[in-house]
Amino acid sequence: MRVDGVSVQCGFELMEKLECRLGVHNLSVYYDDFKALENINLLIPCKRITAFIGPSGCGKSTLLRCFNRMNDLVPGSYVEGSIFFDGTDIFSDNYDVTELRRKVGMVFQKPNPFPKTVYENVAYGPKIAGIKKKAVLDEIVERSLKRAALWDEVKDKLHSSALRLSGGQQQRLCIARALAVEPEIILLDEPCSALDPIATQRIEDLLVELAEKYTIIIVTHNMQQAARISHFTAFMMIEEHGDPGRIIEFGETSYIFTNPDNEKTERYITGRFG
Amino acid sequence: MPPLRKSFQERFEELERDLNIMCNKGVETVERTRKAVLNQDFELAREIIDGDDDLDAFIIQIEEKGIEVLALQAPVAIDLRRIFVMLRIAMHIERVGDLCVNICKVLLSLKGYSISPNVKDNFSEMFKRAIEMLRQSLESFKNKDSSHVSDLTQMDDKVDRIHRAFLEGVNGGDREEVEVTVRVLMIARFVERIADHAVDIGEDVKYMVIGRFVE
Repeated sequence: MRVDGVSVQCGFELMEKLECRLGVHNLSVYYDDFKALENINLLIPCKRITAFIGPSGCGKSTLLRCFNRMNDLVPGSYVEGSIFFDGTDIFSDNYDVTELRRKVGMVFQKPNPFPKTVYENVAYGPKIAGIKKKAVLDEIVERSLKRAALWDEVKDKLHSSALRLSGGQQQRLCIARALAVEPEIILLDEPCSALDPIATQRIEDLLVELAEKYTIIIVTHNMQQAARISHFTAFMMIEEHGDPGRIIEFGETSYIFTNPDNEKTERYITGRFG
Repeated sequence: MPPLRKSFQERFEELERDLNIMCNKGVETVERTRKAVLNQDFELAREIIDGDDDLDAFIIQIEEKGIEVLALQAPVAIDLRRIFVMLRIAMHIERVGDLCVNICKVLLSLKGYSISPNVKDNFSEMFKRAIEMLRQSLESFKNKDSSHVSDLTQMDDKVDRIHRAFLEGVNGGDREEVEVTVRVLMIARFVERIADHAVDIGEDVKYMVIGRFVE
């Protein structure tokens, strides 16, 4: 079936059963004259992992960054259309972007811990939010590190520099840092592309666990990663160089990877693209 | 559709080649079994029993290659369905081979007894239809075309009817007659199972083409 121009292969029944608090409606994104995304329509199911896949330059990261308005920081960028979060358009005037970014955390491709201690990295967000009591901060740090499956590895070196951790640990620290401010949605932009297979597996296991409590959106070039961990997959692509990115197909990951609706999706995931 | 990446394409073609040889051998085995039964050719029956190891070796080879492709190439969508169906077809053909062996073993136990012309006619008809069904199901796979798959169910109904006619024809007799009758019924049952495998192959091909299991 189709919803607002998006082929929703998982069917309306399933989408109706799932709570969707985040919806993209006729969204186009521009960088000055360049139209990076065109007419994106998408519902993001709560407490599920949604993966964006597609070739380089198709606008996956641009779309991801819209959910917490990170594109606002790019000079010349502007949007048409809406992203509704709990019924309110996040692009509307007077929308509280700081609060949006608290609710919608982000983890980047390369682990980017602050050059501070492990403890300070996790406590940073809550401190900015005004929490000052050490006992409360201690509890938040422990809880966040536990949720990020890092506590056992760092509990004895909380006051050592975060930069001394391995790449995989640093990435989990970044996830713990995002969790510390109690977000509802976590955005991840290729979070495993700089990690080895073992660290990747730990992050993937962690994301599956976190999906019980959080809504997760992940951009990945690793299609097997999307197949392994995501519940829903959106395939994006551009027709020609310079064209805007569009969503070609969105559906349950198990459908997309066994019997995609759209021939372009099939060509891409089976490696026949181009 | 543009070609697959080269190494994947080569492995796919190799697997398809092996499966094709196995399928031809499977159909040929059923044809030879038919000949053995109709002519009560016990020498041929023994050859068929001894030759079953070839089909068994084929399935091991195909399964190993298929698993290797799954592990190394991580196929998805149509490619995944094709590999899955290839492995299923190999399994069906291997079982068809086993059924031919069973038929031949029963035939050997009928040495010294004659099979009536009426029974032979029915066997001939059942074999003819089962072989036709096997050929048609394998053609559907080769052509990636599921449009004739439903014909197989109708063809199978006819095989089932002949099989039922065997059962209905049973009417006692002395001990020797009963023994012969039981063996004849066993052969009929095995041929009927061969036709069922052809129907199953057709259903697998339908899954490969449309992406949904349809009974």
